[in-house]
Order: sequence, then structure tokens, then C-alpha cells
Amino acid sequence: MGHHHKAVEQDIRNTYRWFDDRLPLLSFLKEHLADYQAPRNLNYMWNFGSLAGIALILQILTGLFLAMHYKPDVNMAYDSVQHIMRNVEWGWLIRNLHMVGASFFFIVVYIHIGRGLYYGSYKSPREVLWGLGLVIFLLMMATAFMGYVLPWGQMSYWGATVITNLLSVIPFFGPDIVVWLWGGYSVGDPTLTRFYAIHFVLPFVIVGVVILHVWALHLHGSNNPKGIDLTKQSDYIPFHPYYTTKDVFGLGVYLIPFTFMVFFLPEYLGHPDNYIPANPLVTPAHIVPEWYFLPFYAILRAIPIKELGVLAMFGSILIMFVLPWLDRSKVRSARFRPIYKQMFWLFVANFFVLGWCGAMPAEGIYVTISQVATTFYFAFFALLPLIAKYEKPHPIPATI
Amino acid sequence: MKNLLLLAAFLITPLAHAGGGVEVPQEKWSFQGLQGKWDKDEIYRGYTVATQVCLACHSFKYINHRSLMRVGFTEAEVQTLAKALNMDINAKLISALDEASAKETYGKIPPDLSMMNKARAGGADYSHAVLVGYSEDPELIKHYLPEGVPQGAHFNKYFPGHAIAMPNPLSGPDMVTYHDGTSATVDQMSRDVSTFMQWTAEPERFERQHLGVYVLIYLFIFTILAFLTKRAIWKDIKKH
Repeated sequence: MGHHHKAVEQDIRNTYRWFDDRLPLLSFLKEHLADYQAPRNLNYMWNFGSLAGIALILQILTGLFLAMHYKPDVNMAYDSVQHIMRNVEWGWLIRNLHMVGASFFFIVVYIHIGRGLYYGSYKSPREVLWGLGLVIFLLMMATAFMGYVLPWGQMSYWGATVITNLLSVIPFFGPDIVVWLWGGYSVGDPTLTRFYAIHFVLPFVIVGVVILHVWALHLHGSNNPKGIDLTKQSDYIPFHPYYTTKDVFGLGVYLIPFTFMVFFLPEYLGHPDNYIPANPLVTPAHIVPEWYFLPFYAILRAIPIKELGVLAMFGSILIMFVLPWLDRSKVRSARFRPIYKQMFWLFVANFFVLGWCGAMPAEGIYVTISQVATTFYFAFFALLPLIAKYEKPHPIPATI
Repeated sequence: MKNLLLLAAFLITPLAHAGGGVEVPQEKWSFQGLQGKWDKDEIYRGYTVATQVCLACHSFKYINHRSLMRVGFTEAEVQTLAKALNMDINAKLISALDEASAKETYGKIPPDLSMMNKARAGGADYSHAVLVGYSEDPELIKHYLPEGVPQGAHFNKYFPGHAIAMPNPLSGPDMVTYHDGTSATVDQMSRDVSTFMQWTAEPERFERQHLGVYVLIYLFIFTILAFLTKRAIWKDIKKH
């Protein structure tokens, strides 16, 4: 028996070597998913990267099954969603996972970005890694926006109308671009069908950029809570089994509130108006986007001049691309940066204020608050060079 | 962790807004809470109101008689109910009122009711509030609509804007006779049909919640085991 067992093992090893010699796919995966050397002092904030990857895969899988039953036609879209909810085997589960999954994907990604901001993970030599992350974030926003149009409820229709109309501010070509995007003179059947096509394909583009993101990460290795460059081999531990087990535990912690929402409060993060079938003749009292867009929506509406509002909204994300060059402090982690640390928490609080303003009607005091919050949003970035210059960092440890 | 708490607080903001418009009183419903269920008799009573009152003008296009088997009706029972309405058990509950005459009479096509409780903030609370929110009291009307009720509309305390195209559908008691002898007061009919509309909006509710309990129990055990595994693996690693 023992001898036989050994022989089988040897056969498997030989086959592996034979295959790897011809296509080193398995050793490549082993190198990056198992043997990757990670700092041993990463805290639980570092769980959100792999969690985001899992959330992406879950969206792709549930989306694939929804795509098998959904009909991207203005006369059938709403009904086909109800068909999924009522007649398709496990359809309600697949749709709730996809719907709640989108929100949770954004929660994970916001925390992941926040972690990068706090620990200075965007600084040299990780500027490209940071930029690729922002590209993923932008692609996610586009994907989520188009996905929300697909059920063809009132918010789908009017959200799509408001957001696509923003492009009309582009000088000279704007109105033509909007008509081209719609495939007509208003949001309609051609818009729905193409949004479906793009919503289906963008996640695979995201997977591609995620691969680049991980490639850039593995080149210089992970940042760590102390933000210092690691020198000793003993500062590192292999990803497997250490971070695989830690990530599996983190996944469990994540899945508990996630599945709770899926099974008990699936509609909580949605808007009841989106269960009213789309009607081009009736405008909802308040058009609000999905919660994860609210801070940017507030920036858009804070500025009374439409062109500037659109510029500010896109600028609020684009400015993050130049963050590594705005923040010239040599110290990465906010742990050792007393002023930056306070600014960071103010920025986070301000982001919530913006989100709250985005949910409120654009009138009276809410506009004033959004304007103050928008000003602070950009002031945070404008002040970074000064903070870097005048801030006295705490002493930085030489090692973890 | 601090991030997480803040984000959790953030999640509440859209909901605070979703409740906008007219505040409706919160009621107790048999489908709420951990002991909640679809009460077959209540659904039956709601079905009676829906088919004998609402269906005159409104459709329930996602519902047919066969769907009632999901709440415990037998095939023979739904056959009898469908027969009484001259319908096939697989036929959608579509109103006999055609769109042209609906527009002529009410100025608009009465909305399909299958998804109504999901399409309004407040759900069943809202449906019930609107159904019992009619009043002829001139003082009350004057309070809400100083300009008077617009032509062709009807006063309703809980409808946004307080002027609704729908005439009071439950204008008096005993509009229906219940199978179980329950007294058909306006309040009773309104509650029953609001419960029925909750069912038509989310028939999967209890399949979902029942499965959810098992999924959560599984995940709690999974997460504890994952934590113990992580701790065992990390035993010898100094993190700082």
C-alpha cells in the first residue's frame, strides 16, 4: 500500500513538472497566491483587498445567471425581473445576492481606499498601483450605474436621464455625444440594450485591471501599518497559510452581515420608486442615485453652475490620481503624522456629510452644507503639500 | 473598525430619505418579525377583497390562482376559486376594466397592484393608511387642502398631496362576505387586502427568511472555525 501511494504521488509530481515545463501557469499561481511574501504585521484593514476580489467574482457569477433570464427590452425588462423573482428556481436568491452584493462591493472598496489613504499606500513606489485601483473604482461606478438602469424602474429611468445628461456640458460636442450615447433623443430602448451589453462586459475589463493591480502590488510588495520599508527576511511571512486563513476568517465576518441583508432586508438599500415601472411622463419627486454615489452626487449639486458642478464631480475622483504627488511627505503611515491623521478623519467624516447631503433635496440648508463639504473635500487635497512641509512627524521605528 | 462603524451609519442615510412624503402610522402585521408567516385565512380574506373590490379596476398581473398554492391552498381549492371568477387557474388576475374606459373615467390607468407594497415607502402600512385615509369631514379637508379638493379627485389624509384619483374603494362595511365569518369592517378589509398585497409583492418572503436562518447558523459556525484555524496557524508569528 505504502509503496503504491508513493508511486501515485510521484506520478502526480511528474505530470505537474511536465505541464509546468510547457506552460508555467500553476507555478505562476503558486508564486502569487501562495508563496507571495507579505509583511507579518498587516492588520485586519488589509483583508479588504482580497475581499473586494471575492465580491467581484460573486457579482460576475450571480450576474451571469441573471443574464440567462433577463430581457433588455423596455417592454420586457421590468417583467423579466419579476419573472426572476417569482418563477426562476432560486431566482430571488440570485437577484438579492447581486443587488445587495453591489452595495457590499462598494462598502469593501471604500474601506480599501480609506485604508490606502490612511497608511499612505499610494506613495512611491506604489503610485501606479494606486492609480490602477482608481481605474477599477471608476469602472465599478460605470458598471453599477448601468446595472441600476436594467430593472427599468422609475429611478432606473430618471437616474439614467439625469446622469447621461451631464455629458451635455461638454463644449460643442456635448449634446451630440448624449444623443449618440442614448441611441435616440431620450433614454429609451436602444439605451437599455446597450447599457446591458456594457454592464455585462465591463466586469471582465475590471478583472483585467485587477490583474494589473495585483501585478503592481506584488512587484514592490504590500505596504504595512507602519508604512516603513521592510529590510529583513524575518519581517515577511508567506501569503499561504497565514493570510489565506486570515482572509477566510475575514470572509466569514463579511458574509454574516451580507447574507443577513440578502435574506432579511434585501430592499433596505434600494429605493421604493424603482419598483414603479419606468414612466417617461412622470418625474419622481426626488431623483436619487444609489447610496454609494451620494457623496459625488452632492458635489455635483452643490455648485449652481451645471458645467462647474459636473467638473467638480469628476474632478473629485480624478484628483485622487495625483494624490501621490500632492502629498510629498516621506512618511507613509498616518500613525506617525499627527496633522495628516486628523485631516484624514475629517475627510472621512466630511465624506459622510456629503453622502447625507446627496440623499436630501437640493434646496435650502442642504445646498449650503454641501457647498461647505465640497470646499473641504478639495481643501483636503490642496492642503496636503503644506501639511507635508510643516508637519513634524513622530519618530519612525526602524523595524516592525 | 472605526471605518466600518461610520460606513454602517452612512447606510442609514438613504433610508431616512426614503420615508419622505406623508408620514403613515406603523401597524402590526402577521408577516412581521421572527414569528411572522403568511396566514392562509388572512390571505384568503385579502384575496376576497382584492378580487371582489380592487379587481374591478386594478390588475395583479404577476399573480394567478395557482400562485395561491404557495401559501397552502390545495389545487382543488384554487380550482373552485378560479371557477367562481370564470378564470383558468393559470390566468393572470387582470382587471376587466379596459385602458380606454379607465382613462375616460379616472383620467389615468389604475396601477397594477402586485408590486404596490414594494413600490411605496411604508409598504403595507402605506396601503392600509390610504385605504382608511378617506374622509368627508370638511374641517379635516380644509386643514389639508385649504384650496379645496381638485375636480375629479378625492380627499385622502395619507396620499401624498392629499388628493387621489381613486374614489374610496372601501366606502362601507360588509362589501364582501368572508369565508370564515370574520366581520367585514372597513378596517378589517383594509388590513386583509394590505396583507394580501404584501404577499403579491414578495411571495418568496418566508422561503427567503427560513433559508436565511440556516445560512446564518452555518456562517457563524464557519466563521468560528475559520477564526480558530487562523489562530492556530498564526500561533508562532509575532505581529509587532
